[in-house]
Amino acid sequence: MITVCRIEDLPPGESIRVTDGVPAPVAVFHTEDGEVYAIDDTCTHQDASLADGWLEGCFVECPLHTAFFDLRTGRPTCPPAKYAVRTHQVSVENGQVLLRIGVAEPA
Amino acid sequence: MTVTNLSPSLISTLPGEHYTDPEVFRLEQERIFEAMWFCVARASELARPGSYRTCQVGRESVLISRARDGSVKAFLNICRHRGAKLCTQETGEVKRAFQCPYHAWTYGLDGKLVAAPNLTSMPDIDRTEYGLVTVHVREWLGYVWVCLAETPPSFEDEVMGAVAQRLGSTEAIANYGIEGLEVGRRITYDVQANWKLIIENFMECYHCATIHPELTEVLPEFADGFAAQYYVGHGAAFGEDVEGFTLGGGEGLDRIPGVDEEQDRRYYAITVRPQVFINLVPDHVIFHRMFPMAHDRTLVECDWLYLPHVTENGKDVEHSVELFHRVNQQDFDACERTQPAMSSRAYAKGGVLVPSEHHIGEFHTWHQNRLAHRAH
Repeated sequence: MITVCRIEDLPPGESIRVTDGVPAPVAVFHTEDGEVYAIDDTCTHQDASLADGWLEGCFVECPLHTAFFDLRTGRPTCPPAKYAVRTHQVSVENGQVLLRIGVAEPA
Repeated sequence: MTVTNLSPSLISTLPGEHYTDPEVFRLEQERIFEAMWFCVARASELARPGSYRTCQVGRESVLISRARDGSVKAFLNICRHRGAKLCTQETGEVKRAFQCPYHAWTYGLDGKLVAAPNLTSMPDIDRTEYGLVTVHVREWLGYVWVCLAETPPSFEDEVMGAVAQRLGSTEAIANYGIEGLEVGRRITYDVQANWKLIIENFMECYHCATIHPELTEVLPEFADGFAAQYYVGHGAAFGEDVEGFTLGGGEGLDRIPGVDEEQDRRYYAITVRPQVFINLVPDHVIFHRMFPMAHDRTLVECDWLYLPHVTENGKDVEHSVELFHRVNQQDFDACERTQPAMSSRAYAKGGVLVPSEHHIGEFHTWHQNRLAHRAH
């Protein structure tokens, strides 16, 4: 379990890239609807940080080539990405954003 | 420029090579267009965040866009990675970012580097330092002005000051509320002539009775050959039987509310060096921006600006547009006829200016001084 940050430091619409204590970078998003999601940060098409991408509802658009990933499943909804990113368990407890890195294969 | 045996009535012009030599043009790009405030676009062209326009300023392509916070930004239109031109269209709209079509370096609307392939493995790259190169920008009269100089000259002195000097006061132009007018018509002229021929033409009216019959009909004093710009604070009076500044002198549109009695039924003309001409008449404003492209080619964008209710109600602006459109065509035809002759041996030492054109000599002195000194 990794403590990412305090939830007030991640306002709705924002994202954060986590690199410490994880095997590969993870992007954590706080959506405008108040949900918090975590996925692998690196786009499966080309090396780009999805935390730098644009959050739309519970989807993120890769900043480089506009691949669009569903934060709930990790699946891309359009080319050029073909493969899903992994999703990770994330929760907010006592004001802290907590991340559990899953070992499961991408959906 | 020393010419001997000149009659006392005459002063000399610049020699012909100043209009034909690409090296002179290169110096003008560096020391005039890239050093001074340069008017690029109507602010309303950048309607929403992400709206952009590109244009040529001196030797540079400049990208003007509206950021998320509603402000207008200007950048050199060049990717910081390997120098590819970033936006290749003249106008357009991006959703969230400008992306280089070469390696996909991606910049936010504030110019900051947002993303690039493998950027996360180069954490030492400062995203502001490798953001787009910013250019100074100002908005005035509803237009976007840029300055490519590192330290721009005072906008108040050079731009606002030039207008106040011609009109005799700073308030005179405010009466027209130009920032609140709307573009009723835009015509772009691709003129095969040096930009200085166009400025010189605009500054004098010695040609008016010969090539502008329609204009002289509306402004009879122009037949005497003295341009409104010959004086300070002088507006050329409409002819007695003229109702409006239209082709044929027929009725114009509603008078702009701020225009005072002294300004009513008069035509004012202003040159803001190096590339803006403004004409003020009671019911509209004609705003020219020149984009010098080469020593023998100049693009001129001309906007006819009207009160919002005129454009919104689809009122007929045709008669007012047509008058100055004809004047423009007549002027630019004359400039295009003159350009090839600039390389004639008959013009090697230049031509002459008659008394009603002598104020053009001051433009030539200014031009020579600008070229003599390196841009700072």
